[in-house]
Amino acid sequence: MTDALALVCYAAVVGVLTPEALARGTWSHRFPAPSVAMWQGLAVSFTLAVALASYHLIAPTGHLHNGMSGLLRFCGVPFATDVPGLTGVPAVAVPVGVMLLPLVCFGFHLLRARHARARHRSVLDLVGRRSARLRATVLDHETPVAYALPGRRPRIVVSSGTLRVLSPAQLDTVLAHERAHVTGRHHLALAAAEAFATAFRRLPLARTAREQTALLLEMAADDRALRSHPREVLASALYAMAEGRAPRGAFLAGGPDALVRLRRMLAPRGPARPVMRGVMAAGAATVPLLPVLACCLPGLG
Amino acid sequence: MRRLGELEAEIMDRLWAWRRPTTVREIVDDINVQRPVAYTTVMTVAGILYNKGWLLRAKEGRAWVYSPVRSREEYTAALMEDALGTSDDRPAALAHFVRQMGPEEVNALRKALRAAGKRPQA
Repeated sequence: MTDALALVCYAAVVGVLTPEALARGTWSHRFPAPSVAMWQGLAVSFTLAVALASYHLIAPTGHLHNGMSGLLRFCGVPFATDVPGLTGVPAVAVPVGVMLLPLVCFGFHLLRARHARARHRSVLDLVGRRSARLRATVLDHETPVAYALPGRRPRIVVSSGTLRVLSPAQLDTVLAHERAHVTGRHHLALAAAEAFATAFRRLPLARTAREQTALLLEMAADDRALRSHPREVLASALYAMAEGRAPRGAFLAGGPDALVRLRRMLAPRGPARPVMRGVMAAGAATVPLLPVLACCLPGLG
Repeated sequence: MRRLGELEAEIMDRLWAWRRPTTVREIVDDINVQRPVAYTTVMTVAGILYNKGWLLRAKEGRAWVYSPVRSREEYTAALMEDALGTSDDRPAALAHFVRQMGPEEVNALRKALRAAGKRPQA
């Protein structure tokens, strides 16, 4: 029972208190990719904590851990545990269900997005003009847009309005940004964040992770573009695109993301810090194990 | 050998440009100005476009005449609706460079650019 309580407390900390604290600062913006991994690690950690807590609540006497073998068995096949108490299907079905839920949502989001992209692409390939020079598809429309259709048959798309408002150098930079989304397979990370938000709809962690993932992936693509293009060019391109299509008089709550990105682009770069990057990656990999260790370590004694 | 999709696009291009019901023969003749293409190939692909819901067809004399179901502009408008991402329904499908935003936000962007000492391009 103590284990269940500890796990519930852990889940509450990770699910409710941590996200706001993490999202408040801008330090994670310096390491966009490791930060995305960290949000994913927190999501996995939360899911495991809830799954384990539900197991301990349903089967309070049936502890999974008889020492290290119990831990290993849990990580392997939970059905094989031969412990007394309320075990078997009901004790295992709930935690397994908790763990499966985000996975099922992930599959759903991937399929739905792939379907939407395929439909979009089929129209795009007939309506748009392929530009071999830009390695992109041009849509004949005055409103400036630039976007990527990620996936196995990716497309980079710009409207003729974009060609009008951007200089050639700016256009190059924007195209580099969009290609970074495709080569980085950002749509998978985004679908994972979406899936977690669908599975745990009201959870602050899920909401924040989704917002932050979207922003951090944009920053990752910005950084990729900035490797080969000047930052002023990317920043002014962002402004030109936004300015070129803001509807007059209408107010759209788009959030401050674009402003945050623009300020970040123009800010002087700090020194690269591979150590910090490594620490964050290690943290992202470790945090999912915390709930398992927390409830299984006492059994080791 | 060109890909099927390209021939589909070539056929649609002509029908959208001409804006009148057109026979396969007319399309073939026009493509043949640039490169040789078989009548049966174009007929087959026009049939595919009809089955996909891109084309309407009607009997005129002994030949079928084809016309687009919707204009190029209508299809483009539908794509732009997806691309502008004003609905939160399918955010994972497309990766936008920058989302639609209001005038106040654009103002804030301009100020940030100015503050950094770079003049935004008009």
